[in-house]
Amino acid sequence: MSGCEKPSRGWGYCAPSPVLLLSLLTAAPLGLLGEETRQVSLKVISNWPDFSQNLLHIQAVGTNSTLHYVWSSLGPPAALLVATNTPNSTLSVNWSLLLSSDPDGGLMVLPKESIQFSSALVFTRLFEFDSTNMSDAASRPPGKSYPPYSLANFSWNNITDSLDPATLSATFRGHPGHDPTGAFANGSLTFRVQAFSTSGRPVQPPRLLHSADTCQLEVALAGVSPRGNRSLFGLEVATLGPGPGCPSMQELHSIDDEYAPAVFQLDQLLWGSLPSGFMQWRPVAFSQKQGSRESAMPCQSSPLYPNLAYLLPQSPVVRAFFKTQNNFCAFNLTFGASTGPGYWDQHYLSWSMLLGVGTPPVDALSPLILGIMAVALGAPALMLLAGGLFLLLGHKRYSEYQSIN
Amino acid sequence: MEEEEEEARALLPGGSDEAGRDSRATPAASGALQALCDPSRLAHRLVVLFLMCLLGFGSYFCYDNPAALQIQVKRDMQVNTTRFMLLYAWYSWPNVVLCFFGGFLIDRVFGIRWGTIIFSCFVCIGQVVFALGGIFNAFWLMELGRFVFGIGGESLAVAQNTYAVSWFKGKELNLVFGLQLSMARIGSTVNMNLMGWLYSKVEASLGSAGHTTLGVTLMIGGITCILSLVCALALAYLDQRAERILHKEQGKTGEVIKLTDVKDFSLPLWLIFIICVCYYVAIFPFIGLGKVFFTEKFGFSSQAASAINSIVYVISAPMSPVFGLLVDKTGKNIIWVLCAVVTTLASHIMLAFTLWNPWIAMCLLGLSYSLLACALWPMVAFVVPEHQLGTAYGFMQSIQNLGLAVISIIAGMILDTRGYLFLEVFFIACVSLSLLAVVLLYVVNHAQGGNLNYSAKKREEMKLSHEE
Repeated sequence: MSGCEKPSRGWGYCAPSPVLLLSLLTAAPLGLLGEETRQVSLKVISNWPDFSQNLLHIQAVGTNSTLHYVWSSLGPPAALLVATNTPNSTLSVNWSLLLSSDPDGGLMVLPKESIQFSSALVFTRLFEFDSTNMSDAASRPPGKSYPPYSLANFSWNNITDSLDPATLSATFRGHPGHDPTGAFANGSLTFRVQAFSTSGRPVQPPRLLHSADTCQLEVALAGVSPRGNRSLFGLEVATLGPGPGCPSMQELHSIDDEYAPAVFQLDQLLWGSLPSGFMQWRPVAFSQKQGSRESAMPCQSSPLYPNLAYLLPQSPVVRAFFKTQNNFCAFNLTFGASTGPGYWDQHYLSWSMLLGVGTPPVDALSPLILGIMAVALGAPALMLLAGGLFLLLGHKRYSEYQSIN
Repeated sequence: MEEEEEEARALLPGGSDEAGRDSRATPAASGALQALCDPSRLAHRLVVLFLMCLLGFGSYFCYDNPAALQIQVKRDMQVNTTRFMLLYAWYSWPNVVLCFFGGFLIDRVFGIRWGTIIFSCFVCIGQVVFALGGIFNAFWLMELGRFVFGIGGESLAVAQNTYAVSWFKGKELNLVFGLQLSMARIGSTVNMNLMGWLYSKVEASLGSAGHTTLGVTLMIGGITCILSLVCALALAYLDQRAERILHKEQGKTGEVIKLTDVKDFSLPLWLIFIICVCYYVAIFPFIGLGKVFFTEKFGFSSQAASAINSIVYVISAPMSPVFGLLVDKTGKNIIWVLCAVVTTLASHIMLAFTLWNPWIAMCLLGLSYSLLACALWPMVAFVVPEHQLGTAYGFMQSIQNLGLAVISIIAGMILDTRGYLFLEVFFIACVSLSLLAVVLLYVVNHAQGGNLNYSAKKREEMKLSHEE
């Protein structure tokens, strides 16, 4: 990223530079190896005849590479991201291995030598905090914590029904398998996955710019009864680190808030030096389905901390692909603050992120703004020039006139 | 705002003559108390000056209450930015029409004393209704309160100027106008820095945030309006007493408003109007929305954001007399206006397209705002004959208020849908339009052989040659 120091472990701050403005004017979302479009196919892989266990396989084929996203709801919701350098790679699933106690080898991308990058993302827990009497919005934890919901114990819908080939999306809807308090009686936690064949920007806030090498995840909590009057929710996300260290988290400050009003920051998680995988999101969540400035609430992320694998709920899909790798790093996202819009308004919360490979997309100034600036600065300049010429020529004419007396 | 007209108003006829001073026999034992009570003595006039300055304090303090409490208003009354900016729009709407009638009301209908008291009452009642809107959780009541406040606010400034001319006509007048302007700026600055803190104190004592807390905070802020009303009453008493003792007449604005004169306005004057409107719509709505801009984009704390939002007023308080002196001594008004507009353009570009410390841009904004006021308003007096001056200023105020009313709402809408960058680009476009008008004004003035850009020396020469 222009203007940034080398990404290092933990927090990094990217200071803007003059190059940043240039990059805002010229940047276009380049994919891995420059893939502008991909052929995207969505497939639900289920363990026939038991349709309650299913995986969503998104295959995005480009001219020189293929991206495989495997979204699973076996155990905690997880996403597997594999990038290969051939358009002919395939995913093979062995259900009997996958569902056994040692799933190693149950999931494979062939040919193995073509794999350029692979990693995984697991959503492990849903937190709830009581934020009454908390005046400091940035404190961690943001209040007294209620017992978290473990997403490994959730039961999920059959995603075949929610598959939409037109928008290339599918929705996982889940609620706890055992819900004594009935909090999820009328509500659910949904993960809406959407893939893209080309670059663009959705209409729904926060309007993250996506490319053909990314897919978007929207996490939404709707209708769940909170356990307090001013409950803040949080999500724990675990990632598989590249090597022994953790991926680096970056906060990018920019001048451009056209697409997410009043949000001047973009958060990124980079798995390593490019080209590698990334996660990108705006630190904002929305308390209404339409999502607008009035319903925007801040989203805070904690630093990445290494976590021992056995402390986190295990995803069979991750274990199947990554065998004995267990260098997980986890971070927490907290949605909302004690004042302002919050989950309590309409019992709704949504947050979006991008998951992809390659160079993360960068927002550029829209043509409208560039046009207005060109006119706003150009017109007076032209006027000054014209006026100056007019006066100069006028002067010449007057100086040639000789008065009689 | 009215106070920018001070220097030009000095050219208007009217006011008192202090002829009574010499004929009156001063008492033999002139103690300090007697000096204070003697309307012809400086000490008394200083007391009157103090009251005159305080007269406008409440109005300027409460004008920017919404800007200081933007986050709280939007949160407690559950309104978006567009509706929030209506609080400013409703202040400006009555003044589109009242600017023409303020002078008339003071001269012919109420008289300066009753006029000041009535306008102060409007200011008080408006602020109280505004606060009640918060207490009863009725945003329409808040808008009504701002409307009533607006009726009193701008006309009170006219009354303040009229008192100044009545008591201080002569060489002290510019100083008095400058002091009144500084007091106004101090009122705005105190508001920006105080109201947020006051809200948190009220919240702490009431136990929770909410519309009631907001209403109570605004009601406490309204105490300054009561102060203004008390000053109005005191001034009325002292003015009546001075009339009785010194046999001086009630002050008059001396404005003659004839709306038919509008068709006689020359092209340079219309260009001056355009400069005025396009410039001020990029300043006041920006300050109204600025606090959240500094909090969100630059990560300032609430206190720091209030402080930086008020810096424009803080700078304008001392720099206005300085720039006034500068423009008086050097002339060349159009060049100074050009400098001011270009500096404002640079300042907005800095705020929009860079992450540099906004103190720099805001200080530049404060300097250019003061410079423009000192250079632009006197230009009207150079292009308009004296009998049309009242109409010209009234019209300028009127369209300025119209522009502010409309652009406040548009700014709110842009912010809700497109964000701060687009809003800043919009303001840049407005300032750029103003810049176009300045350049055009220079060319037209030069082509017509006009006197707007004369240096002070040339102006003296022309005045002397006219007198010969």
